[in-house]
Amino acid sequence: MDPTIEIKQRVDVVVVYKKHGDLASLCMPYKMRFRGQEIEFVELGLRHQTVAGKRMIHVFDMSDGVNDYRLEFDAETLTWTLVAMIEGNYVRD
Amino acid sequence: MYGINHENAQIIFCDLNSAFAMAEQQAHPSLRGRPIGITNRLSRHCCVIAASYEAKALGIKVGTRLDEALALCPDFVMLESDPPKYHHMYKQLARIMKSYSPNIKMKSIDEGIIDFHGTTEIVNNRPLEEIGFEIKQRMKQEVGSWMKVNIGIAPNRFLAKQAASWHKPDGLDRIDHRNLINYYKSIELTDLTGIASHYEARLNAAGIFTPMDFLQASSDTLRRIVFKSVVGDDWYQRLRGYEVDNVTTKLGNVGRQWVLKTPSADDNFILPCFQYLCETTGKKLRYQGVDTRGILVWAHFRTGESWYVRRMFKTTFFTDADIYARALYLFNQRPKHMVIQSMGITCYQLTPSARNQISLLDEVNKDEWLTTAVDEINEQYGTFKIFSANALLGTQIVKQKIPFGGTKYFELLLKQA
Repeated sequence: MDPTIEIKQRVDVVVVYKKHGDLASLCMPYKMRFRGQEIEFVELGLRHQTVAGKRMIHVFDMSDGVNDYRLEFDAETLTWTLVAMIEGNYVRD
Repeated sequence: MYGINHENAQIIFCDLNSAFAMAEQQAHPSLRGRPIGITNRLSRHCCVIAASYEAKALGIKVGTRLDEALALCPDFVMLESDPPKYHHMYKQLARIMKSYSPNIKMKSIDEGIIDFHGTTEIVNNRPLEEIGFEIKQRMKQEVGSWMKVNIGIAPNRFLAKQAASWHKPDGLDRIDHRNLINYYKSIELTDLTGIASHYEARLNAAGIFTPMDFLQASSDTLRRIVFKSVVGDDWYQRLRGYEVDNVTTKLGNVGRQWVLKTPSADDNFILPCFQYLCETTGKKLRYQGVDTRGILVWAHFRTGESWYVRRMFKTTFFTDADIYARALYLFNQRPKHMVIQSMGITCYQLTPSARNQISLLDEVNKDEWLTTAVDEINEQYGTFKIFSANALLGTQIVKQKIPFGGTKYFELLLKQA
């Protein structure tokens, strides 16, 4: 039904900032460490912004080629949170 | 022979295909090409508010309940709506559209119009088809590769919208004096935007069964017999490609309604939710910078019966407390033994706010300052951080829906998201 798995955990993230490129991909996570594993991203699905009060939150929907991950960067506290993921196998069964 | 407008097409209508579902598929590559739907609040009985094209192909459309969708397609995926994501799409579409003409109008969160009148020769000296293809390309490059936009080109807004929905998804069509007749011959009456079953019945009663019959009907017939008002004249012009829809509507009323998941007659459950509806209505009023004098409250009961009461007050008001006090006075007049299925409040007789005027009465000033202070705190830390204690249950139960019809409250909605 809804394949989203809620996680809401702080994670280590390596980010790439490009000098040139499309607005959507000027800044994007390259890889993260989650549950002892290094996950390398191969696609940026969508980047958009939202707010928590007046705190700016940058939302990055990333894919490692199989699973989708929703990462949020809090521009005030400078923290990365893995909010949710969708396991690719779930929907392909 | 039909008096069709021969003006060059100068309107582009942009319409995102299955916007919410496409936004989710853009964000989640694993869901691309799969039947998915979006709902406001996930539950066993929730229904689809937006379906992907893959889901539509299986017969799952807006309004289909989750259990029906799963019966049609066991792999069906239903996601809860994510307003900031859709707002991002809206802003990107508006940004791209604005780069071609200063005269754009977003009709809803997933569609908008670019009016090239007065700009084409100076700014965009090229065919509108070329601009249309460029908009499609830019959406893919600047927003995401899964993004698809329908483009319609025509001499007026109505025909441009028709053109945008001619070949979905990802179509680009022009309707003008050269192909208008053939287009009308290829569609049904209810394919015309604005003609649903009610208007269709009126047209049928006057012997009009096809768009061609509609086109051939005289202005007099449409005005006097079919629509019985100037609406008939507007349709006569609209069908021929003349512009009648470039009008700015005035804010007439502000309100909020809610369908109860579990119908109830219990005041302990209903009143906190009703107060929450009043407070969100108050926020909308102040967001629009207006005060109100009139309140209408209504309820639909499980029996199928309805009830409403309305009242005009002597002075204008805008605070949550004033709105709730007056609305509650009216709401308490309902038949209390009846089980409520849905309820709502509407404020009308709106006037521009006079809040900058300091009152001679200190109590009035205190009310205003308190409201301003609460609004500022909620603005800073997120909507509904401070609210009436009685509304606590309402804030937990009543969920904000995505406004399909307009965009005037979108910024406010995002703060609540």
